[in-house]
Amino acid sequence: MRRLFLPLLALALLILALYPIKGTGYGVRFMLQLFMWIALAQSWNLISGLTGYVSFGHIAFFGMGAYTAGILIAKLGWPWLLASLAGGLGAVVLALVIGFPCLRLKGPYFAIAMLGLNEVLRVAVSYFERLTGGGSGLSLPALYASVPIYYAMGLTAAAVTALAYVIVTSRFGLRLMTIREDEVAAEAMGIDTFRYKLYAFLLSAVAPGIVGGLAARDQSYIEPISVFPLIMTITMIVMVLFGGKGTIWGPVLGAVLLFTLQEMIWARFIYLHQLLFGAIIITVVLLMPRGILGVLQQKYNLPRTI
Amino acid sequence: MLGQVVISGLLAGALYSMVALGLGLIFGVMRVLNVSHGPLLMLGAYTTFWLFQWLGLNPYVSLVVSMPLLFMVGMGLQRLFVRRVVDAPELSTLLLTFGISIALVNLAQLAFTADLRSVEFLTGSFVVGPFAFSKSRVIACAFAIVITMAAFVFLKTTRLGKAIRAVSQSREVAQVCGIDVGRIHMLAFGIGSALAAAGGTLVAVMVAIQPEMGQVYTFKSFLVIVLGGAGNYPGALLGGLLLGLIEQMSSLFLTTQINEAVAYVLLVLVLLVRPTGLLKGRAS
Repeated sequence: MRRLFLPLLALALLILALYPIKGTGYGVRFMLQLFMWIALAQSWNLISGLTGYVSFGHIAFFGMGAYTAGILIAKLGWPWLLASLAGGLGAVVLALVIGFPCLRLKGPYFAIAMLGLNEVLRVAVSYFERLTGGGSGLSLPALYASVPIYYAMGLTAAAVTALAYVIVTSRFGLRLMTIREDEVAAEAMGIDTFRYKLYAFLLSAVAPGIVGGLAARDQSYIEPISVFPLIMTITMIVMVLFGGKGTIWGPVLGAVLLFTLQEMIWARFIYLHQLLFGAIIITVVLLMPRGILGVLQQKYNLPRTI
Repeated sequence: MLGQVVISGLLAGALYSMVALGLGLIFGVMRVLNVSHGPLLMLGAYTTFWLFQWLGLNPYVSLVVSMPLLFMVGMGLQRLFVRRVVDAPELSTLLLTFGISIALVNLAQLAFTADLRSVEFLTGSFVVGPFAFSKSRVIACAFAIVITMAAFVFLKTTRLGKAIRAVSQSREVAQVCGIDVGRIHMLAFGIGSALAAAGGTLVAVMVAIQPEMGQVYTFKSFLVIVLGGAGNYPGALLGGLLLGLIEQMSSLFLTTQINEAVAYVLLVLVLLVRPTGLLKGRAS
């Protein structure tokens, strides 16, 4: 199994890289959004899955990236790739500003503070109308670039997954997981917990910022309610939980399963969509809080770095 | 002008206090932040609306239906779902109650449609000297005060109320003293939901009723219990009145749009500066 893993992974990546040549327009857009969800879920996993600090406003970084990139493209005419990278940078700056005070909060207080900050940001964006277009949104000049955006999203998703692998297998990752298991003990062992939490938080903001910018370019139109929705934070959390919190491939698995389910099945039941989602959340929390990989890990004694 | 603002703030604040006391009770007893608190309030408002629509029942009389009804709903939710995550980390409790929350909102949309509804009852204002106050707000405030006081008398004097307070102070010690903690948890969730329902009934007369009306109250109740100090029940009263006052005051200076953010900014600030709340609560 272990010997097969790398060749299989390479094959999967090759197929994904060649897919746009044969794929339909719908297929490419489907995959592009799937990559976005993988990047988001994987990023949430970096801070919350590893350190146990539940970010309930993680979509704020996505929104920050979307608006940073959107404004750079629409007002200054930046190329979209550069603007999206700037979006990632914007998200890191935001994470730095809110991480300093908020990471000192514990338990549910951190979760609520993040939730509140996301709402503050949404209102602030609506308020600065001249820059952001306010509640009526920001339109970007039309551009048909699904395929390049596909590659950019895919690369981001792959990069965060690689980052997750590097972190989980490093001493840095071990320190983060020590914080999750027992922060006081971690502190007592000489780990500068605040600094490590902050690093994890900053790293977890980069990809949402970048994919926020890419999504803004892809949709050519952003508005406060479309880039700061609480439901998207919840969706990425459920993806991670479903796949396996604190694992490397869990967020990928969760994103693939949940997003496919969403596109294939729920889209047909518009009226029941939210109810089904609610039921899925409740089921995942009650019946499999360790997620698919978590359960497999325990049952078959798989390595920690799965 | 200032007098008007202060009194309007207190009127709104009394209602916030009552609704947040429900959330605070659930958090204090179970350490569960109930994200579905607002949707439970919404169900209370719909109960009042339908009773008014079908039977022409006086909205204030419908309190005797909406509160027991949501008390049962709350106990049921606790029994079925929330009970299983009481000792789980906050991620589970927040997500679970969020799942319940969107399921309730969606069920309400399916059952009642997303149309805006209103209970047209008691319009107009009381005019006292230079001040004018909408009748529905004054009466809502009066009911809120009575219900909140009743809840406090219950908590202070009855055996059951004492048991609830004991569990919220220390579950283990309460258990050792022979209190059935599981039953207290269920009751507390029921009472919390009933207080939300009372809030729903009282706002039904003032605002448009629709499935998503509740979420705002969830956040405001979070703020109120953070302001007052989590797990500190009198703190919820103070927090509610303060929130009402601050909202009214800030509406003098700020546009409606920005005023929306005041509660959130305040929430974050209080958490950062004084996470134990104004009256001392528990920082976890």
